[in-house]
Amino acid sequence: MDDNIMIRVSDVTMRFRMNNDKILSLKEFVTTALRGKLQYHNFTALEHVSFDVKKGETIGLIGRNGAGKSTLLKIISGIMKPTEGSVECHGNIVPMLELGSGFDMDLSGRENIYLNGAILGYTKPFLDEKFQEILDFSELGDFINIPIRNYSSGMLARLAFSIAAVVKPEILIVDEILTVGDAQFQEKSKRRMMELMSGGATVLLVSHNIKQVRELCSRAVWLEHGRVRAIGEAKEVCGAYEHPEA
Amino acid sequence: MVSRKKVLKISLTVLAVYAILACLFYFLAGDQLRFRNSRGNVEMLPAESGTVELVQGAVVEQSFAARIQRLESVSVQWGTYYRPNAGTITMELIDASTGTVLLSGQFDAAAIAEGGLTTLTADAPIETAYGVPLVLRLTADSQAGSAASPLMAATLPETYAEQTLEASQLTLNGVPAAGALCYAVSGEDYIWTGLHYWKFCAAGAVLILLFLFVFWKRCRAGKRSYLLNAAHAMRKYRFLIRQLVSRDFKTKYKRSVLGVFWSFLNPLLTMIVQYFVFSTIFKSDIPNYPAYLLVGIVSFNFFSESCGMALTSILGNASLITKVYVPKYVYPLTRVLSSVINLGISLIPLVLVCVFTGVQFRKSVVLAFFFLFCLILFSYGLSLLLSAAMVFFRDMQFLWNVLSMIWMYATPIFYPESILPENFRFVLAINPLYYFIQNTRLCILDGLSPEPVAYLQCMLIALGMLLAGSFVFRKSQDRFILYL
Repeated sequence: MDDNIMIRVSDVTMRFRMNNDKILSLKEFVTTALRGKLQYHNFTALEHVSFDVKKGETIGLIGRNGAGKSTLLKIISGIMKPTEGSVECHGNIVPMLELGSGFDMDLSGRENIYLNGAILGYTKPFLDEKFQEILDFSELGDFINIPIRNYSSGMLARLAFSIAAVVKPEILIVDEILTVGDAQFQEKSKRRMMELMSGGATVLLVSHNIKQVRELCSRAVWLEHGRVRAIGEAKEVCGAYEHPEA
Repeated sequence: MVSRKKVLKISLTVLAVYAILACLFYFLAGDQLRFRNSRGNVEMLPAESGTVELVQGAVVEQSFAARIQRLESVSVQWGTYYRPNAGTITMELIDASTGTVLLSGQFDAAAIAEGGLTTLTADAPIETAYGVPLVLRLTADSQAGSAASPLMAATLPETYAEQTLEASQLTLNGVPAAGALCYAVSGEDYIWTGLHYWKFCAAGAVLILLFLFVFWKRCRAGKRSYLLNAAHAMRKYRFLIRQLVSRDFKTKYKRSVLGVFWSFLNPLLTMIVQYFVFSTIFKSDIPNYPAYLLVGIVSFNFFSESCGMALTSILGNASLITKVYVPKYVYPLTRVLSSVINLGISLIPLVLVCVFTGVQFRKSVVLAFFFLFCLILFSYGLSLLLSAAMVFFRDMQFLWNVLSMIWMYATPIFYPESILPENFRFVLAINPLYYFIQNTRLCILDGLSPEPVAYLQCMLIALGMLLAGSFVFRKSQDRFILYL
């Protein structure tokens, strides 16, 4: 395999088998099965999607709601297994999908930095070393020692972003450029994000902001109804996306 | 890639640990590794009547044979006619084929109470008596009116004739009589495995070497191996597991006044309540009932707590599972590990109660940890199974409530196993917890090591559950996310 390729998505198909009504109890399952009403319909979220991402590339994923962008990100970050096909990743992935999942409201900010860091796959020495940096970036000050159930939503978002953004990942997966907190922090977090993306990392960016994709990405993948509609230079793909008739 | 030096280091460590464990086990298991209570022991028959008044010149003889490899003691039960007696009773055990006296002893008739026993104990176990016709002869020099009488049973249980190799014959003053004397014979048998312990150890070492060799070959060939993967994952996720466990622990006792003391107090309070309830209702004859009860409670509490918590571990962490990749077995594992910490804490009250109730701790206490370890493995296996099942069928939590209650009553926690009627004994035989708890009790309370086969049994049960659980979990884990 080419050393330069960081992510290889080969022929990925994701099919969900959905009951008309999710059956979650044994009794329901048996009774509906007996009545012969156990109907499934397959929903195909992704169909034969293939592309490679090279080292250091920033790739944009565009497409309308329900096109399968988030499913693809979940498959690449290993959260879901594709029905068919395979995904190979080389390097540590930091998914910036939904920040702060895994926070425990009863623990203090300090404890949550370690807990959330561990969930993101950081090591203890790394967190010990970066602790001050995270704290400084989040601007939480003395609040770090109180349980986070007392935090405002802005404070929570700032803490979550600071933990996720402290690492220098080899592969960064971003679902929309996250801008959290007040205007000043938004500016700061955006700057940090750009820093990460330009810092040699391979970036996979999902965005509805076409202008941003055009600016940041070298290449783009346009997904439509689970299929790759177009792949290529970001400017061209974005142009085609904005003016599909042309 | 694994370097040669590292492989050598790992191999040596594994072998050293193995050797230490083998020696430690040999030391801790002690005599119980080589001998067990003989299955050929002759139980005392229930007394129905007296034989003859054992005056001077009277002879009571009971001939029998027994399958006991190391005969240790013979006892006879006596009637006194409820009067003070006098004189000396002579008891002899004779090898009928050669006529040699194997054991003999004299007892003061005045010291024997109604229904009391006289026991001949061998200084060194007699190894020549296996299956040999033996005669137990009783004589005395007492006067009529102050002589005791050995008791006898007229009706014999079905198994009795087989047990004594059809050689039982009671002779009263030279006249054959129906029935049998109330006597008991006990001793030990050799355990084949125990006698060949070091050979087994050597065989184990060879197997380990072979395994390491294959493992090394595979590593060099660049093949993935489960063991290496597991070790790698363990190192990678050790920190996460520790964080999640400490989270469980911190949030559990957050904002409670006594905090971690509850881990300590809970089993103690349960024990006290059950002690008062059951010691008055059941009037059980279990020696040291509080300690007996507490071993059961601590073990079962661990089991039901870990499984109960792990049951919801996948569902409860749904928000994480759908957003970050973490191997999913980590979630049930952390719940079980938090329960292990709880188990560790609740061992403190157990030790305290044992000390207060005068349990003599022997070296076999260390062996109890083996059975606790098996219990932990078993619980983890079941946890994997339950947590996976819970994702697909939410009824599992209600089913589990009922199931764990049934399980509790089916395990001798607060009752002795002897109260179960014969036709319900199978419940114990198929109950894995029974094996773990009973052997733990044997190690702690009786200071004895169970037979070697018990270790194998428990390990196999635990590993079997673990394998079954892992298999189901592995097969279904990719579909979890679709049902969360």
